[in-house]
Amino acid sequence: MKQITDIDLIDLILGFSIMIIPVLLLLYYKIKLVKSILLAIVRMSLQLSLVAVYLEWIFEQNNAWINSLWVFVMIVVGASASIKRIGLNWRFFILPMFLSSFISVLIIDTFFLGFVIRLDYVFDARYFIPITGMIIGNSLNHNIVGLTAYFKGLSEKSDLYFFLLTNASDSKMALRPYISESVKRGLNPMIAMMTVMGLISLPGMMTGQILGGSSPTVAIKYQIMIMLAIFTGCTINLFLGILLSNRFVFDGYGRLKEGIFKGGNSQ
Amino acid sequence: MIVCNKLSLSFDRIPVFRDLSFEIYKGEFVTVNAASGKGKTSLLKILQGYVLPASGTVLINGVELGEHTINKIREQIIWIPQNVNLPVDCGMELIEMLNLKSNINSIKQVLDKLGLDSDFLSKSFKKISGGQKQRVVVAICLGINRPLVLMDEPTSSLDEESIKMLLDVVKSTGDKTFFTASHNKTWMEHSDRIIELG
Repeated sequence: MKQITDIDLIDLILGFSIMIIPVLLLLYYKIKLVKSILLAIVRMSLQLSLVAVYLEWIFEQNNAWINSLWVFVMIVVGASASIKRIGLNWRFFILPMFLSSFISVLIIDTFFLGFVIRLDYVFDARYFIPITGMIIGNSLNHNIVGLTAYFKGLSEKSDLYFFLLTNASDSKMALRPYISESVKRGLNPMIAMMTVMGLISLPGMMTGQILGGSSPTVAIKYQIMIMLAIFTGCTINLFLGILLSNRFVFDGYGRLKEGIFKGGNSQ
Repeated sequence: MIVCNKLSLSFDRIPVFRDLSFEIYKGEFVTVNAASGKGKTSLLKILQGYVLPASGTVLINGVELGEHTINKIREQIIWIPQNVNLPVDCGMELIEMLNLKSNINSIKQVLDKLGLDSDFLSKSFKKISGGQKQRVVVAICLGINRPLVLMDEPTSSLDEESIKMLLDVVKSTGDKTFFTASHNKTWMEHSDRIIELG
């Protein structure tokens, strides 16, 4: 396999110049996105540069405790980002969101790193951190879509919930349509993405591995494994996010508590 | 069956009703009447614990409504709201959802009394009229074996003939207590009693 061609600083700066095209288009059509796009690019560059520094150090140490601490930080940041993006109240959601991510990561990492790849050292930073990162990163997007559908549905379509809660006298039955809708909305984009993977999209991980010098066969095997891990991780995370949140968000009468959304409930 | 004692309700500090007290006896057919926004639907929701009054107490079958008794109370109630977007395609799906398959014969009988044959249970809700859908939902809900029926604006999608058929069903179901919210003249005329709000 050929060695990967490094990108030097000047070429990296040259790469940024391509942003002129979207910025000019936005300016021409007076779409007020330029400031947020530039801010996002600066943040992304700074964050990734810092991560590069951390990861270099973490990979060098390759210590189980340090690696686990890094994963713990990723889980906390992921849970916080979900809560913030959906506009939920921290008081009710930080514990369920953290636990759902933690449990899904625990199950997926144990299964794939321990039983599928069968690493001698499960906490090996080269596997443990990127695979966990991909699970958390993807879960974040799908959780946001799924949980938004769930809580908005319960808040805005409360008549159906009350109808089922009284007539079925079973909160699980009353919540089922909302859970079903949430899971469909949360997972459908991933199902669509898997359906066309390799045909109209080349996944990032596989591309990265090939660029990094792996053979396409190895890269594809890892890609299939990571997609299974991500899909299962997202599903577990979304279900647990809903089921654990349910323990905090309903009052003694089975009603959605006031103030679960930051700006107040619309119920 | 229902005892409401000095119920007061307000939304955003605006009083809806104050010191409302009434009793409804087993087997009665009582209708609450009021102008729009005067608390008819809220009163029916108070009886199920979905809206909490500012003050006052509710007893259903001698049990005071509260956090610890709410499940027991809801197990005695059938709730037929005015309009609900059900997550089902047809009546049969709703029957399965509410676990009422063993009551299918009594549901078909009620449906027949409401002027629809049992085929309507399998017809898509998208392909039948609002009034037919309402009658299918009412027939299914009345198939739930519980003593107290709460109905919100049961006549809203029904023509005069269908209203009379529904009244016949209500009148012939002597073992159930009906507490309904309506301002339909025919419906009120046939009720045992009217409670005026506001």
